Amino acid sequence: MLVLESVTHTYPNGVRALDDVSLTIPAGMFGLLGPNGAGKSTLMRTIATLQTPRSGTVRFGEIDVIAQPERLRETLGYLPQDFGVYPRVSAYAMLDHLAVLKGIAGRGERKATVETLLDQVNLWGARHKAIAGFSGGMRQRFGIAQALIGNPRLIIVDEPTAGLDPEERNRFLNLLAAIGENVVVILSTHIVEDVTDLCPRMAIMGMGRILAQGAPADMIAQLAGTIWARTLDRADLPAIAERHRVISTRLSGGRMVVHVVSADDPGEGFAPIAGGLEDVYFATLHPTMQPAPVAA
Amino acid sequence: MFARVAAFEFRYQLRSPVFWAVLALFFLLTFGAMASSEISIGDPNTSVHKNGALSLAMTQMIMAVFFMFVSTAFVANVIVRDDETGFGPIIRATRITRFDYLFGRFTGAFAVVALAFLAVPLGSFVGTLMPWVDPETLGPNRLAFYLQPYVTIVLPTLLLSSALFFAVATITRSVMLTYVGVLAFLLLYGISRAVMRANPDLREIAALSDSFGFGAVALITRYWTGAEANSQTVPLAGIVLVNRLIWSAVALVALGFAWWRFRFAMPSVAARKPAKGDDLAPQRVAALPMPDQRAALWPRLGTQIGFEMGLIVRSPAFFVLLMVGLLNSAGAMLLPDAMYGTPTYPATFLLIKALQGSFALAPLIIAGFYAGELVWRDRDRRMHEIIDATALPNWAQLVPKYLALVAVLFATLLAGVVAALLVQLGKGFTAFHFAEYLLWFVLPGAVDMALLGGLALVLQVLAPNKYVGWGLLLVYFVVSSVLDPLGWQHPLYQYGSTGPNPLSDMNGDGVGGVSGWWFRLYWTSFLVILLTLAHLLWRRGTETRFAPRARFALARLRGGAGLVGALALLVMAATGTWLYHQTNQLNQYETSLDTDRHLAEFEKRYLALETAPEPSVSTIRLNVNLYPQQRLMLATGTYALVNRTAVPIRDVHLVLPEHARDVLALAISGAHLVTDDDVHFVRIYRFDRPLAPGAGATMVFTVRRWQRGINAKGDDQRLVANGTFLDNSEIAPVIGIHRSAMLSDPVKRRKYGLPSELRMAKLEDDSARARNYIDNADWVASDITLSTDADQTPVAPGRRVSDSTAHGRRTARFVSTAPILNFWSIQSARYAVKSRMSDGVQLSVYYDPAHPYNVDRMLNAFDAGLRYYRANFGPYQFDYARIVEFPGYQTFAQAFAGTMPYSEGIGFLGDFRNPDNIDYATYVAAHELGHQYWAHQLIPADRQGGTLMTETLAQYSALMVMKHRYGEDKIRRFLQYELDSYLRSRGGERLEEQPLVRVENQGYIHYRKGAVALYLLQDRLGEDRVNAMLRTLLARYRFQGPPFASSTDLTAGFHALARNPEEAQLVSDTLERITLYDFKAEHAQTRKLPNGQWQTTLTVRAGKAYADGKGKETPAPLHQAVDIGLFTEKPGKAAFGAGNVLMRQRYPVTDGVQTFTLITARKPRFAGIDPYNMFIDRNSDDNIVSVD
Repeated sequence: MLVLESVTHTYPNGVRALDDVSLTIPAGMFGLLGPNGAGKSTLMRTIATLQTPRSGTVRFGEIDVIAQPERLRETLGYLPQDFGVYPRVSAYAMLDHLAVLKGIAGRGERKATVETLLDQVNLWGARHKAIAGFSGGMRQRFGIAQALIGNPRLIIVDEPTAGLDPEERNRFLNLLAAIGENVVVILSTHIVEDVTDLCPRMAIMGMGRILAQGAPADMIAQLAGTIWARTLDRADLPAIAERHRVISTRLSGGRMVVHVVSADDPGEGFAPIAGGLEDVYFATLHPTMQPAPVAA
Repeated sequence: MFARVAAFEFRYQLRSPVFWAVLALFFLLTFGAMASSEISIGDPNTSVHKNGALSLAMTQMIMAVFFMFVSTAFVANVIVRDDETGFGPIIRATRITRFDYLFGRFTGAFAVVALAFLAVPLGSFVGTLMPWVDPETLGPNRLAFYLQPYVTIVLPTLLLSSALFFAVATITRSVMLTYVGVLAFLLLYGISRAVMRANPDLREIAALSDSFGFGAVALITRYWTGAEANSQTVPLAGIVLVNRLIWSAVALVALGFAWWRFRFAMPSVAARKPAKGDDLAPQRVAALPMPDQRAALWPRLGTQIGFEMGLIVRSPAFFVLLMVGLLNSAGAMLLPDAMYGTPTYPATFLLIKALQGSFALAPLIIAGFYAGELVWRDRDRRMHEIIDATALPNWAQLVPKYLALVAVLFATLLAGVVAALLVQLGKGFTAFHFAEYLLWFVLPGAVDMALLGGLALVLQVLAPNKYVGWGLLLVYFVVSSVLDPLGWQHPLYQYGSTGPNPLSDMNGDGVGGVSGWWFRLYWTSFLVILLTLAHLLWRRGTETRFAPRARFALARLRGGAGLVGALALLVMAATGTWLYHQTNQLNQYETSLDTDRHLAEFEKRYLALETAPEPSVSTIRLNVNLYPQQRLMLATGTYALVNRTAVPIRDVHLVLPEHARDVLALAISGAHLVTDDDVHFVRIYRFDRPLAPGAGATMVFTVRRWQRGINAKGDDQRLVANGTFLDNSEIAPVIGIHRSAMLSDPVKRRKYGLPSELRMAKLEDDSARARNYIDNADWVASDITLSTDADQTPVAPGRRVSDSTAHGRRTARFVSTAPILNFWSIQSARYAVKSRMSDGVQLSVYYDPAHPYNVDRMLNAFDAGLRYYRANFGPYQFDYARIVEFPGYQTFAQAFAGTMPYSEGIGFLGDFRNPDNIDYATYVAAHELGHQYWAHQLIPADRQGGTLMTETLAQYSALMVMKHRYGEDKIRRFLQYELDSYLRSRGGERLEEQPLVRVENQGYIHYRKGAVALYLLQDRLGEDRVNAMLRTLLARYRFQGPPFASSTDLTAGFHALARNPEEAQLVSDTLERITLYDFKAEHAQTRKLPNGQWQTTLTVRAGKAYADGKGKETPAPLHQAVDIGLFTEKPGKAAFGAGNVLMRQRYPVTDGVQTFTLITARKPRFAGIDPYNMFIDRNSDDNIVSVD
């Protein structure tokens, strides 16, 4: 169980990256949803012991992560949002090296670890190729392989599917889903489908704050009956936006589909729809009426 | 478009921090060189103004070499930044053409480079304005002196380095590989220069092929005097112009090449070949193994070290850097400083010295470069988040990186050893001494490199980014170079300093070897403290600001790291205290600035006393006890004094020499001590009743010389475990105040408020004939008893009358059989001896058993020399003549009474197997034997021209031996070396040049010019007649006291030999004036005559000029008979001999152009005027021309 209490972090230029974040994350998949710049990566790095918050506590089991980061690192797997590679090193050699860094000492054990993981992420055929020459998807697969070394009990993956094609994305999510139940897996992403498909619990983060948390189904149920949709022309949009709380606009077949949140029937041709997680997401991010973004 | 691209590039590069950093750095460097009297670039000569035309040009040219790194930084950035930042595709999708892109950017970058270089002349200029600069070293500031070299010489160099590495960057698309290219270029340059330097015939080619223009400038200014160097800019003409044009053309070719090869498309990343085993199946386990942190500790360290090492070793830059270092040191080992062009045997200790010298820079570069790479690689590659999130402890990040760096540096040392072994094998030298390589080079070198690498690593951890880290290392390097000259000379605060550790075959690493290791322990503990600090401040995660890391560091201090640091601190404090005790309490520590100051004070206080009457010494009796293993000497002496002056003597002034200040007893009979100046080590004794003329007294003294502890400036090199060599000036108190120990450098003298010159008495000063120039040493009878360890051989001047060994001590007694000067030596070592009799004189060589190579050669030289000298100069006064080897800490030979110490570094290890090489072992031996006459029978007065009678005549004596041994026709090679050396050295004259009759102990005149001059005189006046004249001189002055011989006696003697006005003129011109001839063979043509003979027409140009002391010349009319010769081979070549001379005859020559028509039986191939370089010719190369 990972518990964060009032974690706050301010950068030297005054930006509040994390603003009084409190979360309780049990074992299993946990989705952290939020737009770019919300503070997700900062939060991930803080939990991964790479950053120390100004105030607040982070506890994993009985480990006080801020005071004793080395204890957490012994059982941590971390896939950063953006990572590079050493030149002239093969996937096998690099994974082997990382296994050593993580504490798998014996050569036989390392061999078993490295080969199993390479097979699991389907990089076995490319194991002697230099990582520097890998495509984006192959690199991500390598990243998840290294995060799984040593059976960590806390796995953090930061924006793992950005830039992957649909097939690779599926493969990746299947891999994550196969991880055991006693492991806390935090999936930080801005792709709503990832969370919908995979996570029994989630939180929505914006501007450094946790805006909502709970089970997706519960959060969707909360909005039941308040989501309305309508198709209209682009020109009509500003008028609608003034009168209703528009949460999303999308083009479909040349015309615009608008979702609004309203406790009662807004009329004007709006029809109720069963809201999805995306609607929950947008609604949480924009709690008040705001001018809708005008598609170019 | 072109102009805009160039303008953008210019503005962009101008804003880069590199530009401002470079500007500041080069400004400071040149400012420092100009404004500081201690720091200098190039030759710190003091008659040439620091802001004279040539000095400024040289400064700029030298800086232009360093600037290569700067220009590379700018131009490589032009090509590479688009790809590295990822912005490339956007730029290339615009309308820009390849030409505009490439050359527009290059132009902008080059403009920035050219602008940045202006920091150099600016720094020099501002330096001259500083009020504390010695005005004697400056001349008037002329704008032309600053700008002309910049425009004519430097700009083409900058263009070349920019264009060349622009091309390299275009091809490699990698900044690192481009820098490697810079290093390779510098290396090739260095090697090519060294090769060309060895062969003076290649001078023109060397000048043209020198990309920086040094060779061309050197050729033009070779013989420039100080006055010319100050006022003339190097003309952009002749070979300088051609050189600049050639290399500018090369630059343009490089640009053309870059244009041809450049493509907008990025080169594809070469994929590694898939290795074997692709069909293997992976091993699959259901449950992944769990990590075990404790068990993984040591294996983790091991694989980390291997991994880090692998990353370094596999990078192409490393291989090239290693090659650069290796080839550089191979160059140094293969072309050692040879005397007269003759090589030396590659003894291990000599090769180690070469390796240490040339290996100084490459490891620094490797250490600095890779320290930056190791510390910053994870961050640069953006792997640091993954790595930092693993359970790897902090120290396991720092330590393996450090150990990998040390291992890599160690590997470079081993590579150096391999290179040295190959050199030895290649030269057929098999005395490898592996233990010496290990103990004297590999192990101490490894520690020294570990210290350096550690520092580089720590600086990288403290710096906010890689480039600042490198900058800090550069600052450390600069600071450490200037500490010494500024007076901060103690090894306890110079990082990594171990004190001097000179090596010798005879004495091993006895001097400074063990103490060096104590210093290494001290500095290693300091490094551990630094590494602990680096460990505590190690960047983990994303926190890169200093303050939080510092706070973290303090918190973690209470752990294992703190313990290690505390322990290291303890060791450092303990060693440091002990070392301080050794250097500053058991020894006196004085910086060289303090020493200079004391010398200045000594002069101010006591110079007036130099003419005071002093008693003379008539007999000396010494008992010297050497304990070489303890580096201890105890000497007791009794001097019999007598007043040989015409006045009563009241005071005796004694000066205690530098290493004999531990006086246990000193007394003069009938006198009491009135002054005991223990700062300047002067003691004045006053006779109770003034010593009457003719009366006598006795001086007894007991002196101890003892190397205890560690001397910060270097341990005693003269009293060592094997190879002790001490002379009287290091044992006995000196009577009288003499100038020999005072400051001679005019800059230093002015700094301490002394008149800038302390010149010797003028030729006209007859009162100076009352004293001789060896500190007015008297002719004495000597009785020296020398005792040393039982396994060593003691040697001192005198006949060995007894030699016995008892109780582990060997004692020998030496008594002089003829008067000797109070100028004597004692030596002791484990010698092998080889002797031979030569007409009643025992010739011996005392040598180290490992150096037998040239012993016979030396004995032969003595034999030949003795025969000649006894036949031509007079009786040899001893029944012994000895050469005694001493360790190569200094390389010279010296003549004491019948006993001649000879360094192991010259002669003993000379490689004379090739008969084409000049046999300097014979030459030097004959020279030193000559001194037994010229100095040890006849000693000149202490005034101008003194050394003409000793050194020049010894040169003459040796030359005659060589002439009789090798023949007159082979003498040219030798004379050419001497002539060249004289001409080159004239430009380095500090005060003023003198004609031979007035020479003021100026080596280049009395050795080099003297040799050529006297050879000419004997050639004209007749060897036998000259020798007869010298005989009479010797007979007149042999063993005489004052008035002492003078150079005027020699010139009078030569004048007496002149048979006609032309010869008289020659004598005057040669001895009494500074005369420069200029003989040039312009053209020669031959044709076959109908009678089968050959008629050759030779056109020559001749001239003569007189020069003043500063080098200003006035032409003079020439009426001289000069040799004209026709040959089948070029004189001066090794193979040339008497058989190649078709004719050599004297013809009258006047100034201007002349033609000679000559008939010979065979066809000549070479013709020349003064073909054997017997005259002092301004240019020795143009006397001979090949015949058409």
